[in-house]
Amino acid sequence: MNKRILAAVAIVIIIAAVFVAMWQLNVFSPAPSAEARNIKIGIVAGMQTVEGQDIWRAAQLAIDEINAAGGVRVDEWHTNVNFELVLVDTVDDAAGSTASPVTRAITEQGVDILIGGATTGGTLNGQIPAINNRVPFIITGASLNLVTRRGSLPSDNPLYIGDAEGMSYMFHYCTTISDYSTTVAHFLADSVKPTLDSTYSFDSARKLRLAILYRDDGYGRGVRDVTSSIIASDSLPIEVVANVSYGTTATTYQSQLISVKESKPDAVYVAGFTADTAEIIREGINDVGLKSLYIAVEICEDPQFYSLLRETGSFQILESKIATQWQGDTWYLEKVGKYVENYKAKFDGKIPGMLGADTYDAIYIAKNAIERAGTVNKEAVKNALETTDMPQSLLIMENERITFSTGTNYHEISPKTFIEQLIWIPDAGALKPYVVYPDSMPGISSFKQFDFALPTDYQPGSP
Amino acid sequence: MITSITPAGLAETLLWGVANGCIYILLATGLNLIFGVMKLVNFAHGQLLMVGAFVAYEITTFAGLNPYASILVSMGSLALIGIVIEKFAFRKVRGTEKLNEIFISLGLIYVFQNIATLLWVENYNIRIPSPLEGLNLSFGAVAIGYDRILAMVSVVVILIGLLLLTKKTKIGLAMRATSQKSDAAMLMGININRVYLYTFAVGAALAGAAGALYGILFPFNPAIGALPTIKAFAIIILGGLGSIPGAVIGGLLYGIAENTAVYMLGGIWQDAIAFALLIAVLVIRPTGLFGEKGE
Repeated sequence: MNKRILAAVAIVIIIAAVFVAMWQLNVFSPAPSAEARNIKIGIVAGMQTVEGQDIWRAAQLAIDEINAAGGVRVDEWHTNVNFELVLVDTVDDAAGSTASPVTRAITEQGVDILIGGATTGGTLNGQIPAINNRVPFIITGASLNLVTRRGSLPSDNPLYIGDAEGMSYMFHYCTTISDYSTTVAHFLADSVKPTLDSTYSFDSARKLRLAILYRDDGYGRGVRDVTSSIIASDSLPIEVVANVSYGTTATTYQSQLISVKESKPDAVYVAGFTADTAEIIREGINDVGLKSLYIAVEICEDPQFYSLLRETGSFQILESKIATQWQGDTWYLEKVGKYVENYKAKFDGKIPGMLGADTYDAIYIAKNAIERAGTVNKEAVKNALETTDMPQSLLIMENERITFSTGTNYHEISPKTFIEQLIWIPDAGALKPYVVYPDSMPGISSFKQFDFALPTDYQPGSP
Repeated sequence: MITSITPAGLAETLLWGVANGCIYILLATGLNLIFGVMKLVNFAHGQLLMVGAFVAYEITTFAGLNPYASILVSMGSLALIGIVIEKFAFRKVRGTEKLNEIFISLGLIYVFQNIATLLWVENYNIRIPSPLEGLNLSFGAVAIGYDRILAMVSVVVILIGLLLLTKKTKIGLAMRATSQKSDAAMLMGININRVYLYTFAVGAALAGAAGALYGILFPFNPAIGALPTIKAFAIIILGGLGSIPGAVIGGLLYGIAENTAVYMLGGIWQDAIAFALLIAVLVIRPTGLFGEKGE
């Protein structure tokens, strides 16, 4: 009897073991679908620009990492597939250069999802074919939030595009003008004004005198308007003493800087791109003698900005969202350190810029959405993107999670930005950034590296 | 918001307008020389400026040459490039439809721009390092950088050299003769092909000098050529087609108008005011300020 029971148990165990082995060998899993193929990621990058090159390199890094780790699981195809990079070269990223390459990528190359875009003007045009063809587009540049908020414009506005026309396929993984202008305005009120008051014995009722020097385009005008609006709404002790614009084709800025100088500002907020901002600071300090505190916007978080400024940039301010040139023994976020080291290893020691970091994160967001959707069906991927909920990656988020908003701030993230002060290190022969504001960030308890200090030859504005 | 206008601010603006105008003068003079002698409209002239800037940059950074000495290297290199372009591109279509020359010059824009992008995409928006950077000469409240002063001096020296070339040499005489009546010049035994070759080389060399100075004063990249070309055309129309003194006065007027417009009215008026001045001169005097009658 016992022998029979033992024999039966042994048979059951053997059968169970065989089933487990078969399960492990995917004998019961359906065969990969014949439809399985690589997923085409269209990377929208102007290859004649430094930012476009950075976007392209970051995309290659992320995609190589994902493919090396086994690719992307697509349940519908019962298998993992690779991401395939498709370069959507928007050349110089000018408004007129973007729509055609995006259209070709969609209609001829059959991209499944688009990621990238740098300038607001270029993206507003480049997104139209994506909207018309209902292709999910994670926009990783273009800080004017109109790129996702066209549906909130009056319907008779020529830029209006509603959800019914496909606007819901647009996602913005990038800081907006409002995000960084808020940081800049509060930094001026919290750090610069007290330093000025104590250094020059100013009356505490004296407002900080701010000049805004901006590109005469949607981005620059946006910075001008939003900054003034934040100062008013948050009742900050700041007075805007000059709003001076420069044309997008300008190569020299002396006349504008003379106007700014005559307004006797304490600080100059420059809403420009990398080259024009560096040139403005250089001409302002060296040529016009406007020895003020210049504040550059995060688009300038690029190695080129540092190399253009060199010593002239010492003690000047850079608002940023990723410190790719972090000066410290340990990185403020492990992921950022890993990204920078891998990027440098893959691309001959090149230091990554800012827009590439957004693109790198966006590719992982796309992977996450496709795996949750279980398909590359564009509507399903769009729906999955809307419910994204991932831990923060290279960019710091308000609640340490990546989610896309709904409502007025449509399909936007909630990033946090910070302020770096640039210091010339003679021994290294290089300009280096140090975080001076704020003290801490979500998930980073001790973030500030130094207290803000005025430049050595700084001259304040009118008493 | 327009800030207050002060005498010191205005004086500084005018001074810098003159300095910026000097670069336009060099570019416009080269363009005008080519047009005056060859009756050729070279739309790719701004791209020669761009190449000149990169040549000077390479010479300065890698050979360690003084940036002002690199002007001569840039002029020589661009003269050689000019010879190649004239001999192997423009000469082949001379005497055919004018449209052919225009298309060649338009094509050259993209050839130069794309080659420069391939070669220097990693060096986008660079400038030629100058030992005088940040050093200013002050007259009370008015200050101007030594680099700008040296740029003005360089332009004056180059223009004197050009004047001597055109007035005191045989090839200069041949250029002037060809400019006035090419058929008659040919009948007098002047080798027109040679004159055209030298003219294009000199025009390109002037663009090379303009490029080197541009690179010392401003950041540059492979796409900078287009706007200076348009401005150079505006200047030669303002000064008078074919007139070198016209290009000089036109360049100065343009630089001053551009800077003053920005200072007094704001950045958005920079190009509008300068081109409005051009239209006004053309309406009042269609041949430009120093227009010459040629063929």
